Amino acid sequence: MLRTIIDKEIRDLLRSTKFVYTFAVCAVLILLSFYIGASNYQTSVTHHEAARAENLRQLEGLTDWLNVEQHRIFLPPQPLAALVTRISNDIGRTTEVEARGELTAHDSRFNEEPIFAVFRFLDLRFIFQIVLSLLAILLGYDAISGEKERGTLRLALANAVPRWKYILGKLIGLFSTLSVSLLVALAIGCLMLPMMGVPMGGGDWIRLVLIIVAGLLYFGAFLSLSVFVSTMTQRTSSSFLVLLVFWIVSVLIIPRSAVLLAGRAVDVPSVDELASKKASFGTDLWSDFRSALADFSVPGEKDPEKLMTALNNYMDSLTTVRDNQMDAFALRLNEDRYNRQVQQQALAFNLARISPAASFSLAAAELAGTSLSLKDRYRQAAAEYQKTYASFMKEKTGMNVGGRMIIMKIGDDEKNEPIDPTELPAFVYNQPQLAGSIGNVTTDTGLLVFFNLIFFAAAMVAFNRYDAR
Amino acid sequence: MINTESNNGQPRLQAVDLSKRYEDGVLALDSINFSVYPGQVFAMLGGNGAGKTTAINLFLNLIEPTSGEALIQGISSHREPLKAKANVAFVSENVMLYPNFTAMQNLEFFVRLGGKTECGTDELRAVLRRVGLPDEVHHKRLKGYSKGMRQKCGIAIAILKDAPAILLDEPTSGLDPKAGFDFIRLLESLRDEGKAILMSTHDIFRAREVADVVAIMNNGRIIMQENASALAGKDLEQVYMQYMAGHDLEVAV
Repeated sequence: MLRTIIDKEIRDLLRSTKFVYTFAVCAVLILLSFYIGASNYQTSVTHHEAARAENLRQLEGLTDWLNVEQHRIFLPPQPLAALVTRISNDIGRTTEVEARGELTAHDSRFNEEPIFAVFRFLDLRFIFQIVLSLLAILLGYDAISGEKERGTLRLALANAVPRWKYILGKLIGLFSTLSVSLLVALAIGCLMLPMMGVPMGGGDWIRLVLIIVAGLLYFGAFLSLSVFVSTMTQRTSSSFLVLLVFWIVSVLIIPRSAVLLAGRAVDVPSVDELASKKASFGTDLWSDFRSALADFSVPGEKDPEKLMTALNNYMDSLTTVRDNQMDAFALRLNEDRYNRQVQQQALAFNLARISPAASFSLAAAELAGTSLSLKDRYRQAAAEYQKTYASFMKEKTGMNVGGRMIIMKIGDDEKNEPIDPTELPAFVYNQPQLAGSIGNVTTDTGLLVFFNLIFFAAAMVAFNRYDAR
Repeated sequence: MINTESNNGQPRLQAVDLSKRYEDGVLALDSINFSVYPGQVFAMLGGNGAGKTTAINLFLNLIEPTSGEALIQGISSHREPLKAKANVAFVSENVMLYPNFTAMQNLEFFVRLGGKTECGTDELRAVLRRVGLPDEVHHKRLKGYSKGMRQKCGIAIAILKDAPAILLDEPTSGLDPKAGFDFIRLLESLRDEGKAILMSTHDIFRAREVADVVAIMNNGRIIMQENASALAGKDLEQVYMQYMAGHDLEVAV
């Protein structure tokens, strides 16, 4: 019996003009998102390679490591960020590294090419979150009320069919048809990735599969919801209207409202405010530095070279003290801001999670490695690199360079041999561990499963009481 | 009320003090009683809102009775709906099957839904021919069918279910005279096979033509119930108008 209903639902859907057109549009959009993603990735790789080469080229001809300035590291393009861009185009990708001092990333993709910020990329997350949820509504809003309007429901229920079987069969039929159709389009899209030169590792494929699974769960939630709403209404037009309102609230209003509410609930000082405090503190330290510098003296020492060495050492120690004080101050401010930010984000995300759209979006971004934590991970990787870079420079120059330290040299001891820029340690950015990412998306995928179950259970209960006359 | 029971076995459809009051307070059925026996066509005649469709919906368990029972083969359609509905086929006023399916596919689906797992193409075709649908339309999608053709499909589904009882809700409404005539001939053949048929209609002419028992309904009550033999020689239309007028007068008083 169940199989008969499922089979009928599949055949009915496949033969409907509505399905043919809407699916064609979705398939084209899915393929387009893969194509655009792969193209963007290729462009990003080209830009990244060019930037790295230019960075090393600037060091060519230098004969002293002390003259190395504006050494930059770049966040490498991530394959999955091509499909789920999230914040990857908004955060700074370039960081100027010195052996000391605070690091700041700048030059985001949207900063460099603002036109793309106006018309954002069509990525897979967008297709799932916006287009496929609408597809689910479009194909599910008349599941029951449409059958009633057509008169087929009365005829079907005139038979010895348990209602729960009927609605379960309908839902399985709808979901399986649409999922399989979408999976075909997604599989073709996946094939495009290696063909277009996107280096997908084993972990990347697992992540992509999990993103698709989360997408299908999200799609299933909207489909169950659509069936549920169609059991609550007697007319298809009412069902469609209710679902449209729910879609707007769920996809457009709740996530944004959650961020606004969290912003009001938890106050996070702005970057400018922090920069102003740091600048003020830095000015005080600089003043102390100059005062301390004025006190420099080496009683009895007449040899200028020894005096210069002593001065450099003195300044180095002062700079270290100043840096330590500045670092401690900045760390305190940054930590305070970071903690507040984490609190604010947690509140915003938890509030937003009442919407399946937010749950899916958060899960997809986490799996693609383009969630908010991307910025922190890049910052941490840059900080780690700074330590490696500082050790390298210390080894090459004998001192901790950077941090507005004045290096005074006397005599002409410049070597004629140029430095080898390729000796510079390479910056490596690693994706978060797969197990960690999976652990982080447990809540959101669990919620998506919950939405599926709760909407389906509600549809069953409502259909049992549905006036099928 | 006239006793119309024949001794043709146990009733296959039976309304026992069947009442239905809707949530808005309207009393759609007021304690009606009737029985339909094997090989009998029972016609419920009445205007809009008389309670005919409500009675059929109660037999199909699409609504719950306020009191009383609708029994199919002695099984309460309210208490054991699946068991009861396995013994009844249904044809609605305006048969709207799946428009994207062909007649064959529609039949196949509804026959399986009716619990029949084995049903070959030949059997489906034979039934479609029996109801008057020629071979060339068997594989056409229903979206191109006329109302009469869809109605024939509906009766084909009922025939294939091979249930002992059949419920017909205004089956000849909107049919052209030829289609109506064909439909009545089909009903007669089903009756001859021993099916118990309960038909709601406001078509006095068709009721007269095919019914073994005629019940006139008004405001949820059966105000007259007669065997066809008792009505022989009488003008049913006149009888109907007299009863309706009498009842209206009664209500007015």
